Amino acid sequence: MAETARERDDAAAGWAVRLEEHGEEPGVAEAARAWLEGDPMREGALARAQAALSLLNRGRALAGQLRVAPRRNRRLMIGGGIGVALAASLAISVVLPDGRPIHTDLGEIRMVPLSDGSTATVNTDSALRVSIRDRTRRVRLEKGEAWFKVAHDRARPFIVEAGEVRVRAVGTAFSVRVRDGGADVLVTEGVVETWIAGRSDRTIRIASGSKAHVSPEQPAQAVAAQAEIDRDLAWRNGEIALDGRTLAAAAEQFNRYNRRKLVVEDPQLAGERLVGRFATDDPIEFASAAATTLGARVAVDDSTIRLYRR
Amino acid sequence: MDQRRHEIVAWIGSDILPHEAEVRRWLARRLSGAQVDDVVQEAYCRLIALDGVSHIENGRAYFYITVRSIIAAQVRRARIVRIDSVAEMGALNIIEDEPSPERVVWARRELDRVRSLIEGLPERCRQVFVLRRVEGISQKEIARRLGISESTVESQAVRGLKLVLKAISEGEQETPMARGFERRGGNGRNRTRTR
Repeated sequence: MAETARERDDAAAGWAVRLEEHGEEPGVAEAARAWLEGDPMREGALARAQAALSLLNRGRALAGQLRVAPRRNRRLMIGGGIGVALAASLAISVVLPDGRPIHTDLGEIRMVPLSDGSTATVNTDSALRVSIRDRTRRVRLEKGEAWFKVAHDRARPFIVEAGEVRVRAVGTAFSVRVRDGGADVLVTEGVVETWIAGRSDRTIRIASGSKAHVSPEQPAQAVAAQAEIDRDLAWRNGEIALDGRTLAAAAEQFNRYNRRKLVVEDPQLAGERLVGRFATDDPIEFASAAATTLGARVAVDDSTIRLYRR
Repeated sequence: MDQRRHEIVAWIGSDILPHEAEVRRWLARRLSGAQVDDVVQEAYCRLIALDGVSHIENGRAYFYITVRSIIAAQVRRARIVRIDSVAEMGALNIIEDEPSPERVVWARRELDRVRSLIEGLPERCRQVFVLRRVEGISQKEIARRLGISESTVESQAVRGLKLVLKAISEGEQETPMARGFERRGGNGRNRTRTR
């Protein structure tokens, strides 16, 4: 009869201890290797047994004082890597002369300080024009997406125009993304007012932690969506947050930032859901992680990264 | 062990093993016992084959997704018959449901758990574990102190690890999670879950 998973687990416990105690001795690693090669599932059993030892070894902290040691923060650990990626991609330019256009290329994320003390963080492939005057502060978002951290100035409302959509803030932080004939407005601090040009009677207010899709087609409605907002604004850190998005949606996200496009033709594969945070500029790393998790394969050429199942 | 493997093993220890009992219970409502064991083992195979884990923010959700994709693949190969339906797997909203507080609670209780795993062992095993894992004393020195042979120390270590692995899979020592997610009463093995 074939070896059961439990039998593999038991054998793996022996190998885990042996490798830890005698891994350096001649022949031990080779013998373990030979055992592993007997069945591909043994690799999983050994990993689990070694992980349990690794967990138990944290018991060292119980020696002496029984203080609960702070656990290392995984997010901070990878923060270093992201910081480097950001330093490369997030160029901070000088204060912008009034009325000049701002462009970002595919994959570029830029933080632009404005002359009134506000900042615009501009996402990939976007275009906007800023005009800071004595009485008004206006930003025309022609395409793409930007997050605005608005310096408080009651006398000069800060108005973003995206197509027909208008968003007004006094001192607050929010993002606007041009999409589907309207704009997505996500508010991260304070409150904004939004309306369609010429229809200010239908103004709605969106508070921090809420968002709305505003378009001439239908009346907008603000919905509370803190988690989605955090996820959707991960680009400010040069990241794409998946948190349960489908592979198809993830591919669409990466394709906003990269010339080499992720392609998932198999609809079943495209519907698989994923979690994790990835650098916007590394679709290949994402593709290989997704492939490993989903049992798929990756093929890369000059213009595409194809994910497929055999 | 190369660096990549070492990192993933440590991550499995801290971010995956704590959720194994819960994942097994979830699977047990859909699969037979032997199938649960196979799916879990295959999940570990996939995890250890990852290129890296630094991009994975949420081990529990990743564990569920890995397990789900294994089941989906098996359903496609028609190897599993006792599954309710694939659609039902989709209904389990593990993502929106994801409790980061649970993770925090877990992190805080990690040492408590290690302690209770060790304390749950038979006496001789426990002694060996405390000396080896907590005090960090070598097998050779333990053998000398306890007046037993080194191979006995090692076989106790192996026996202990098997018991610990079993406890991890059953979640016997598990502290009820703060959220009350799948909170267990008493010995909850093979308990039918009401919906």
